[in-house]
Amino acid sequence: MGTIPIRAIKKPVAILIVRIALLLLLAAFAVLTSADLLLWLAIPGLPGLMTQLGLATLLSAFALLLITGLLLIGKLIVTACLDYFSTRQRLQRRLLFSQAKQEQFKQLFYFKKVQINYFNEVKRKRLLMANNRQQLQALSHAIDKDLLMIKPQLSKTTYLKLQQENTRYRNQQDIEALLTLQQKIATLV
Amino acid sequence: MITLKNRVLALLKLFHAIKDENLHWRTANQDQQAQLKHRRVLAEKTLEAELKKKSVQLTHDITLLRTKNETELAMFKTRCKQDIKDYKQYLAALDQLKRSIQASYTHLPEAVAFTIHHHAKHLLNQMWEAEDFENKMHHEIQLINFMTTVHEDARLHLESASTEKLPERTLGLIQRK
Repeated sequence: MGTIPIRAIKKPVAILIVRIALLLLLAAFAVLTSADLLLWLAIPGLPGLMTQLGLATLLSAFALLLITGLLLIGKLIVTACLDYFSTRQRLQRRLLFSQAKQEQFKQLFYFKKVQINYFNEVKRKRLLMANNRQQLQALSHAIDKDLLMIKPQLSKTTYLKLQQENTRYRNQQDIEALLTLQQKIATLV
Repeated sequence: MITLKNRVLALLKLFHAIKDENLHWRTANQDQQAQLKHRRVLAEKTLEAELKKKSVQLTHDITLLRTKNETELAMFKTRCKQDIKDYKQYLAALDQLKRSIQASYTHLPEAVAFTIHHHAKHLLNQMWEAEDFENKMHHEIQLINFMTTVHEDARLHLESASTEKLPERTLGLIQRK
């Protein structure tokens, strides 16, 4: 209820100021015209004074308009600031912040899950690799043993070549190649 | 000159009439305006209260969500750890399988033992990487069947029930793939 009179006063004040400014403008034109008339009538001294008065009135009219504009802008800024810091806006902002936080938690949960899954998979792969390496080592060792057994029946170059192949395939972890090598050695006997 | 004066006066009258009208309208509608203002203030207050309530509710929800997430994550972590443990045990079981078949068939070439072990591992990985439950179960049954066949072969050979030099049934299973 208290805001009604303030607004009722404020609005006419702005209109009043604009009205005064416009009146000043008109007065300035009137004074300047009269100065022109006096000049035409060739009355000495007075026209200069009148011109100065007219200019001053014109300037004050513009200054008044400018000041009114500035005041209005200032008022708008103050209103915007008050609105920004009003309880409703603050509550709304807090609500939005909370919503964003909730969303963030959900995302964080998802990514943490993905991360755990990833590390789990890495661990499992590592275990598998270790086991694969161990088994390959065993196979390669068996091939070495077979080679040693048939060493007397082989030429030195063939033996060395086969041994080198064995080492190379073991290092490359090439299962297929090692198996074919084993079969090759078995057929050599 | 008189007509000009009259016109100015008429204009002034019109101006005053407009002002009067404006004033009348204001007095007539003052109550309604006040009521509207009052309602607006009330609506604003209600909105504020609602916002406050919502905010409190949301904060509570967030706390709940946080605790729920934490527990779920902890559970998930434990499950993953258990999974890794299971996998390790499976690998150990497969190694044991290889050793047992090697112990039964003393002249079994290492390549054959390796192939059997490798195939079992392949089945295990298929089971582990299966996306849906049905697929997983299918692969698990396959793996269990395979392991049972290997053990059966080893047992039969040890009891000298079979005279084969190689675990033929196991190799048959591998070749069928």
